[in-house]
Amino acid sequence: MNAQLDIADNDLSSASDETVAAHPLAGHTLSGAEIVVQVLADEGADVLFGYSGGAILPVYDAIFRYNHDHPNANGSEPMPLIVPANEQGAAFMAAGYARASGKVGVAVVTSGPGATNTVTPIRDSMADSIPMVLICGQVPRPAIGTDAFQEAPISNIMGACAKHVFLVTDAELLEATLRSAFEIARSGRPGPVVIDIPKDVQNTELTFRGEGTLPLPGYRARLRTVQNAKLDDAACTAFFAALERSRRPLIYAGGGVIASDGAAALREFAQAFGIPVTTTLMGLGAYDTTDPLALHMLGMHGTAYANYAVDDCDFLFTLGARFDDRVAGVPKQFAAGARFIAQIDIDPAEIGKVKPVQWHHLGDLPRALRRLREYGREHGFDPQRENRYAGWHTHVAELKHVHAMNYDRASPLIQPYAVIEAINRITDGRAIISTGVGQHQMWAAQYFDFREPRHWLTSGSMGTMGFGLPAAIGAQFARPGAVVIDIDGDASIRMNIGELETVTTYNLPVKIVVLNNCGDGMVRQWQKLFFKGRFASTDKSLHKKDFVKTAQADGFAWAQRLDRPEAVEQTIADFIAYPGPAFLEVMIDPDANVYPMVGPGASYAQMVCGDFIVARSEPAAADVNPSSMF
Amino acid sequence: MRHIISILLQNEAGALARVAGLFAARGYNIDSLTVAATHDPLVSRLSLVLHGDNAVIDQIIKQSRKLIDVLDVADLTARAHLESELLIVKVRMLAGNDDALDACLYRHRAFPIDESEDIELGNIRTIQFAGPGSAVDAFIGELSAVSRLIELARSGTAALERGSPVLAVEA
Repeated sequence: MNAQLDIADNDLSSASDETVAAHPLAGHTLSGAEIVVQVLADEGADVLFGYSGGAILPVYDAIFRYNHDHPNANGSEPMPLIVPANEQGAAFMAAGYARASGKVGVAVVTSGPGATNTVTPIRDSMADSIPMVLICGQVPRPAIGTDAFQEAPISNIMGACAKHVFLVTDAELLEATLRSAFEIARSGRPGPVVIDIPKDVQNTELTFRGEGTLPLPGYRARLRTVQNAKLDDAACTAFFAALERSRRPLIYAGGGVIASDGAAALREFAQAFGIPVTTTLMGLGAYDTTDPLALHMLGMHGTAYANYAVDDCDFLFTLGARFDDRVAGVPKQFAAGARFIAQIDIDPAEIGKVKPVQWHHLGDLPRALRRLREYGREHGFDPQRENRYAGWHTHVAELKHVHAMNYDRASPLIQPYAVIEAINRITDGRAIISTGVGQHQMWAAQYFDFREPRHWLTSGSMGTMGFGLPAAIGAQFARPGAVVIDIDGDASIRMNIGELETVTTYNLPVKIVVLNNCGDGMVRQWQKLFFKGRFASTDKSLHKKDFVKTAQADGFAWAQRLDRPEAVEQTIADFIAYPGPAFLEVMIDPDANVYPMVGPGASYAQMVCGDFIVARSEPAAADVNPSSMF
Repeated sequence: MRHIISILLQNEAGALARVAGLFAARGYNIDSLTVAATHDPLVSRLSLVLHGDNAVIDQIIKQSRKLIDVLDVADLTARAHLESELLIVKVRMLAGNDDALDACLYRHRAFPIDESEDIELGNIRTIQFAGPGSAVDAFIGELSAVSRLIELARSGTAALERGSPVLAVEA
């Protein structure tokens, strides 16, 4: 095993000779726990989220000593350790931090239950490609496999959930493993990396080297291939030959645009050629939704106009998106009018996984987009000057006008859409929004404006209820000056409601909105549509929880219930303006639905628009039994 | 369609479990799996045999390449390749069939590696055979006609591409 470390050192030696000064602690003797903390600091961790316990105590002690010995100029701790109510909260805080900042989020938990409580956020982060490092204590090496107290097979469990998991069995490799974990988390398609560190490894006295990573030859070789990939002239020619023939091109942008910091390149490309843009749930913020070329979100609960534009386009340009079932529905019928589909991604496994494409590029997304834009310009591709898309732009503008989002504005009950619109108006669409999962999540996705990346934090692929509150806490640490709002549901917030106290403990100005419809609204909507209104286990109208008292009990000085439609605007203005933690429960119309809706297993032609959004045609009859779909 | 997939893997804690887990989690049934260290002790080679259509196999190969410990993956099915499997089989001799058994072993180039006497079962022989899976099947068929099979172990298929191509991670 030591041979591997030597290889890694040789790899690095040339670079370090030229530019990198030796680490000031290189050659010093540090404990494994101290090495953990030092590498976290070197990798830029400025906040940790975690809950203590026996098997992680040496690391916690080392964090305490590090913070004591290295205070910031203003006396604050350089690496504060934020303690949640439950480890699931800690890892979702790290995920919220990562989503809002683009940096690697770090959580530190103990063995056994501490680690297993983080399985959900680790899987959630994997499914949404969020960079995170999770450090778990493990029982000492001699006790592994003995059913010791608080022992769990974390490398097995996490191996199936994370981008990678390390069980550190050789203390000499701890330092290189920690550095490699950060590299893996942030490189390529980002994701969570778990390091399981036995307690005796944390207590081992080691010589700190200050540099070096594991060799990872297969991963690095594949990474180099995509990082060095360039669009050659032949690929550019083929792309523009197809685009030349198109009169109705559309960009379908996903979370990969945000993960690759590609929003600026996307804007330049779309605007240079005048190509409209629709984004996935994960792609919200990749393109300013208030721009005339923006069609907001597509898919199961996308805007009707975005979905119609997908049906009408003849050229689809897929950027960092993966034809997820919530978007593509029936893959064969998705964008069926597109004669040419092009795709850029960093993950080879996403090419042709769901839908065949006629052109693809594997590589860095912003670089590829800029290369295409320059190639097009150099070769005289200028559809704007020729007014080539004038008919298409008129058509898209008409779709946006005729099939605009709308709801019952005359209802005597508070409409959830109106609440989102009011928050959006007051914050000018510039707040950082997190959500739980369900109807409120979709309403937030539909009715907020998203002007910039990393302002929309939502559990897209896994759909984890309880995500919103801890993610908002993590985001507030990443962006201390920003307005961070958790738009939550009465059922979702219950899942991690213990984290209300975390908000006040750290006096975070997080704003929490609970859209209370007394139940699991999205499941109820499916039961209404597909199970003949049998509301099995989704009605919470007889539940006794008083959310305002709950918030007050957890120390919220501003906690109110809003149940009068005429008070919406003023109450929300007061709520947002409050300088500290604030909690607002809004009693909404319990029968409000999420429209449009493309049912599970349905095509866009079967989209249901409800009573207030204008549909283009009667929805086609479903050809599958939706109650059997997921 | 039957596929033979070769995977080069770094010898790390849990690496084999992650590969097997990937196949299990995505619902692929592995017909056989062999694994052992190569001439480089830091690297293991896995050979998997499984059935699936080409698109499904293509996807699982791409997913395998996403595993950090995986050095490289190749589907040998469409390439000229050599495959071999080891069989160790224990048989009970049937009265009067000694010559038939010897002829069967000779024909298949199999050979006995152990022989013992049991008071109840009589003469017991353990036989070793190596060859492609189909040859192992044929040998077992013939052997069972001239003796009584009581236990066997198959290694699963190992395979290499024919000729000069070598599966290795690029430097």
